[in-house]
Amino acid sequence: MLHRDGWAGLVVLATSLFLFALTLGLKDNPMVPIGPGFYPRIVLGLTAVLAAMLVLSDWFAPHRRAAAKETPNYGMVALMFAVFGLYCGALPYLGFRIATLAYVAGTNALLAPPSGARAWLRVALVGLISTAIVYYAFEHYLLVLLPRGRWTDF
Amino acid sequence: MYELLAGGVVNVLQFKYLLPLFAGTLAGIVGGALPGVTITMTIIVVLPFTFGLDPLQGLAAMTGVYVGGSAGGLVTAVLLGLPGTPSAIATTFDGHPMAKNGEPGRALWLGIWASFFGGLLGGLFLVGATGLLARIALQFGPWEFFSLFILALSMVAGLVESSLLKGLISGALGLIVTIIGADPVLGHERLTLGIPFLAGGVDFLPVLIGVFAFAQIMTEVERHGGAATLAATMERSAKLAVSHLRVIWEVVSRPVLLLWASIVGVFIGVLPAIGGSAASMMAYDQAKKISRRPEKFGSGIPEGIIASEASNNANVGGSLVTIMAFGIPGDAVTAVMLGALTIHGIQSGPLFISQNPTLAYGMFAAYLLAHPIMVLLMGVGARWMVRVTTVPKAALFPIVLVLCVVGAYALNNTMQNVYVLLVFGVLGYAMVKFGFPLAPFILGVILGDQIELNLVRSIMTDANPWLFITRPISGGLLLASVLSVLFALWQHRRQRRAVAAAEGEADF
Repeated sequence: MLHRDGWAGLVVLATSLFLFALTLGLKDNPMVPIGPGFYPRIVLGLTAVLAAMLVLSDWFAPHRRAAAKETPNYGMVALMFAVFGLYCGALPYLGFRIATLAYVAGTNALLAPPSGARAWLRVALVGLISTAIVYYAFEHYLLVLLPRGRWTDF
Repeated sequence: MYELLAGGVVNVLQFKYLLPLFAGTLAGIVGGALPGVTITMTIIVVLPFTFGLDPLQGLAAMTGVYVGGSAGGLVTAVLLGLPGTPSAIATTFDGHPMAKNGEPGRALWLGIWASFFGGLLGGLFLVGATGLLARIALQFGPWEFFSLFILALSMVAGLVESSLLKGLISGALGLIVTIIGADPVLGHERLTLGIPFLAGGVDFLPVLIGVFAFAQIMTEVERHGGAATLAATMERSAKLAVSHLRVIWEVVSRPVLLLWASIVGVFIGVLPAIGGSAASMMAYDQAKKISRRPEKFGSGIPEGIIASEASNNANVGGSLVTIMAFGIPGDAVTAVMLGALTIHGIQSGPLFISQNPTLAYGMFAAYLLAHPIMVLLMGVGARWMVRVTTVPKAALFPIVLVLCVVGAYALNNTMQNVYVLLVFGVLGYAMVKFGFPLAPFILGVILGDQIELNLVRSIMTDANPWLFITRPISGGLLLASVLSVLFALWQHRRQRRAVAAAEGEADF
């Protein structure tokens, strides 16, 4: 039966074989001794071989039941990725200032849910102050133009 | 050389360079002192601030972060027993017991002064060896460079603690990232899957930032959520005042230990992607072996602190040598510095010193000057830095991620790099969860283009593939690659046998 390494190896194997197949469509040029697919085929072929070895070694390796460990909070990790993805998606529409304020305050509140008006105020202030500092530091002193919102023009 | 170095020192002493060096060193010390925040993360946070600066200002800030971070880890290691960075783990073994025995100030300052002297010895090597190695590298043709990069990659893949196979796959995955986009000879689009943005290839900085920042932050989130602070506070009554002359004498009166620990640090620093933690552990182990009282190690003796701290700061000098002489980053921190150089249109490698002497010697000077600045900042703010560890993660993590977004966005003012950051953030976290080491992946991403370019150049110069083996330096480097993989195989097998034997004894 496959375990963690075996499944990871299978994913890498499938990806490298898929990309290897794509390189077969790259045409060589008679003017140069090696074409655009030469090096990618070496890298992808090597990756596929290594991934296959990982699958096989996992398949044949004796497995012991892992000792019970503290359960990681994957739900929170998924939520953090989702919120970050939402932030990245919102940046071009809301602009840096609004999206960042919402993201910093929102993530702060999700990671440590505030209880009471003072805690909510602190969350809002952290969002506001950090956004303002980052915005002014980059736009005014380091001359980095941060994204403006298509919807908000801000 | 010394005139150029003196010129570099005078240059960096100007306010416009001294300020970023000062700020970078401070950021490094604070980042290093915070458990759960590595030097890599600190330098990633500092990176976007350097975009608007001139190259030397940016590099001075980053050098400051590196030096400050390498020393900053000892503050919490000594006072709280929590190493601020992995490179301060060995400092905890004797630093914390000494602090608990009622001498927190002595423990802290032994570490700071050992970092100072170790760092300066590393600096001597940096200044003396970089030009020499760069001159040797100038003799290299594409065959030698190809073989050198293969050696770097195979060493990193082999030296990781997890499985060798996973290390090699990780490196290969990094190489795959670099084959996306235009090929170096004819500019044909490759593996872009019809996405126009990928036609130009993937910038390595968003990849690096995404992989390291998310792997670290999400691992913390899954373990503790965000409610926890970075560490508990220090006992407020702890006295940190000491006689500096006495402490300095304690350090310099052990010249063999100081020198040997620094040599170990420099040597590990020169090897790609091994890092300060291995250097300090190895130096600690060596110090124990050469000591007349090895049984005292772990009880709070100065030798343990001196070995660990001298080694991890000398390691910085070694890491900078490989990036400046060969263009190979010694670790993740120098990988970010390499990215910063690229942003400013500067190519690191053997021609770096001869083409950019002001910048190169300015960087040496920044490295040397960062040490007294580090001592000064530690003297002023060590107690305050421990208080910083009470910052709640819930507030810190989103701000760090926002700075990562700014860093990726500011590369060429497009959102695409931010999406690359997100994609590689997910990949980096997945790699950590599946036990794939990140160091070979990053080195693969950084060296991939150069490996392909040198392979193509060598074949276009002469199609005979045996030249890779018959040219003495190239052949030697390839032989070293094979040996490093074989050594890693042997080491992994030995470890597995030792574990199996231990389990067998336990079962019995």
